[in-house]
Amino acid sequence: MEDSVSAGSGNGADVDAQATAWVVRSAERPLGSAEQRQLDAWLETDSRHLGAYVRAQAIWLDIDRVAALDSGTVREVPEPVRQRPWRRYAMAASVALAAFAGTAAYDHLAGRISTDRGEVRRIALDDGSVLTLNGNSAVQIRYEEDIRRVILRRGEASFEVAHNKERPFVVSAEGLDVRAVGTEFIVGIEDDGVEVTVEEGVVAVGGKASGSTQPRYVRRNEQFVSATTGPRKAVLDPADVERRIAWRNGMLVFNGQQLGAAAAEVNRYSSLRVVIDDPTLARAEFVGVFKLGDAQAFAGAAAQAFNGEVVRRGNDLVLVRQQNSPSH
Amino acid sequence: MDRQAQLRWFAREVLPHEPDLRKWLAARVRGLGSCDVDEVVQEAYARLWTGDPETIRNARAYLFVTARHIVGEHLRRSRIVAIDFVADLDSLNIIDEEMSVHRRLSGQEELARLHEILQTLPPKCRQAFELKKFQDFSQRRIAEHMGIAESTVEKHLSKALRLVSDAMKEAPGGAQDGRQRERRFWKWG
Repeated sequence: MEDSVSAGSGNGADVDAQATAWVVRSAERPLGSAEQRQLDAWLETDSRHLGAYVRAQAIWLDIDRVAALDSGTVREVPEPVRQRPWRRYAMAASVALAAFAGTAAYDHLAGRISTDRGEVRRIALDDGSVLTLNGNSAVQIRYEEDIRRVILRRGEASFEVAHNKERPFVVSAEGLDVRAVGTEFIVGIEDDGVEVTVEEGVVAVGGKASGSTQPRYVRRNEQFVSATTGPRKAVLDPADVERRIAWRNGMLVFNGQQLGAAAAEVNRYSSLRVVIDDPTLARAEFVGVFKLGDAQAFAGAAAQAFNGEVVRRGNDLVLVRQQNSPSH
Repeated sequence: MDRQAQLRWFAREVLPHEPDLRKWLAARVRGLGSCDVDEVVQEAYARLWTGDPETIRNARAYLFVTARHIVGEHLRRSRIVAIDFVADLDSLNIIDEEMSVHRRLSGQEELARLHEILQTLPPKCRQAFELKKFQDFSQRRIAEHMGIAESTVEKHLSKALRLVSDAMKEAPGGAQDGRQRERRFWKWG
């Protein structure tokens, strides 16, 4: 196999060439012990080698099955294969996404602004800052001479703060004060505490829920959580920050988050509720992009991904695992 | 499940979905060349193989989701902003029709397709392969029959298998779904 096995993993085509060489040889006769070691070493170098090897082996084996169908007479080219018309996936149209551009005046609302599920509202404040309120969230705006204060009552909001050193911008949520000078950040009240994610610039986190008398600085792509188990700080990938704020653009993005957390996120925007009782399932990692509010699409995708099904109970979409069927 | 049975399961339940998976990946992952698609498919197959086939009820969906995970992992590793926000929100609903629609070829269609592919092989390559697969010749007998060295037969067979498996990366009959989108929402590093 010297001619076909080279060092390194190589590109996809090289890997395929090596895989087919091994498959042909091992199908012909049992490999010698040196050859076997060589094959094993190659397979262990990279999981892609195993994938290519399995693929080539399965094709090699399957050709025997197809060849056995040959009576020696069939040589016609088949009709072009037509695929069935695409079924449009029924989209949950129950949720209207409202994104207002900037004219809602906060003072006309007695300082209080709230959103329903499935509603994302963008509000321009009179100092030039912009507040985007996530679904099922509420804030209270209290602008004073020397301070711009926003109280997050529930849910989540993102802030693009207009720079003004004389008049700090402070967001308060459950005993946590997040103070910015000129920056973009998100504050959310989650199940396990208040989450502060910084998109741009720096914020200072304080207040009794911060666990410290000194302000803690949270910078770009960092996240602070005032968890009940003690505050913690994490550095995020820019991709994670993007994911975190996708709701502002009417989307939810999951990139390996746990299914349970993903469902909680989806439920924030939907009148239907995705329920996952199975704790193992709730911990499974999930990848997907959904429109805000499309709980049905989410539940359907999760069910397919994890070999389960969706059971509708009233307004609940219950995800359950299929019993393993000994069908093979 | 022994290895042979697992390979047969793989051939029956997983392989037929590969062309669609490749098309799906190519359409959605920006800048993902055919070589990168190969890598994602290889990695996905390795994971499917090491998993327990008895627990995989819908191999097609499992394959698609596994591939999507792999792309996601690449994205996270590459530290690139994952989303190209597009106006066409419809295209972002990840639960795609591709996941549920699949037409299985009949045995005769599969056979005709194999013959079609074999016709594209270099003559000696094809001859060796046909002797092996349709006549069940050993490599030694093929060598005698064709008057070439046994090691050359092995090379021919290996090349033939590679060409056949390359051809199987594409859907039979060049079926197009006509929904290839210009806008894609993944960025690749």
